[in-house]
Amino acid sequence: MWIILDPKCRGFFNYNFALYLCTVFSTMTKLLEWLLGASLIGMAWGLVTFDLLDLQLPPQYRELAWPMPVYLLVVFGCYSLATVGYRVATFNDCEDAAKELQAQIKEAKEDLKKKGLKM
Amino acid sequence: RPFINTPQATGADQAVGFGLVGFSLLLFTYYTIWVIVLPFVDSDHVIHSYFLPREYSVILPGVAALILLLCVGTFIGVITWKNRKPKKVD
Repeated sequence: MWIILDPKCRGFFNYNFALYLCTVFSTMTKLLEWLLGASLIGMAWGLVTFDLLDLQLPPQYRELAWPMPVYLLVVFGCYSLATVGYRVATFNDCEDAAKELQAQIKEAKEDLKKKGLKM
Repeated sequence: RPFINTPQATGADQAVGFGLVGFSLLLFTYYTIWVIVLPFVDSDHVIHSYFLPREYSVILPGVAALILLLCVGTFIGVITWKNRKPKKVD
């Protein structure tokens, strides 16, 4: 494993790693896109929250930044809940058609029983 | 045969559905004020008395998520236990 640190071999591994990255970027799937985007945003959040670059942002912005991942999850949860609730409330229930269908199922069962099919 | 009733959700469905919408709107508004608005409000303003300290804005959703996971896991466990079939004997 430590062969990568040997100066004579490092160029070889660098070249192959660069080639690999080129293939990764040219055949970028949606998953890779999302992972890349998410990790960039994650790094930006980490930089602000833990002050890794000593940017010395105003305290209010730092207070705002650190709960951000949890906040986004809660907002996503609220949105999901609201969508489910709205779709339940505006669902097109056809009670007449449901009753008619159940009557037809009963009729079909009796008909088949008469003809000898075991239920 | 013509339609007598227009297709519509029944009363209970509508109540539950709109209740969910209302609850999530309330939760969203309260949580947004807590996380995003409060840092920019002076610390001696009266509005701060309606909100818990900032740490709880991360701890409470975490605890709620754990409880939710527990409930989901228990539910799956109960259903799996109920549906277990005895091994076939040749």
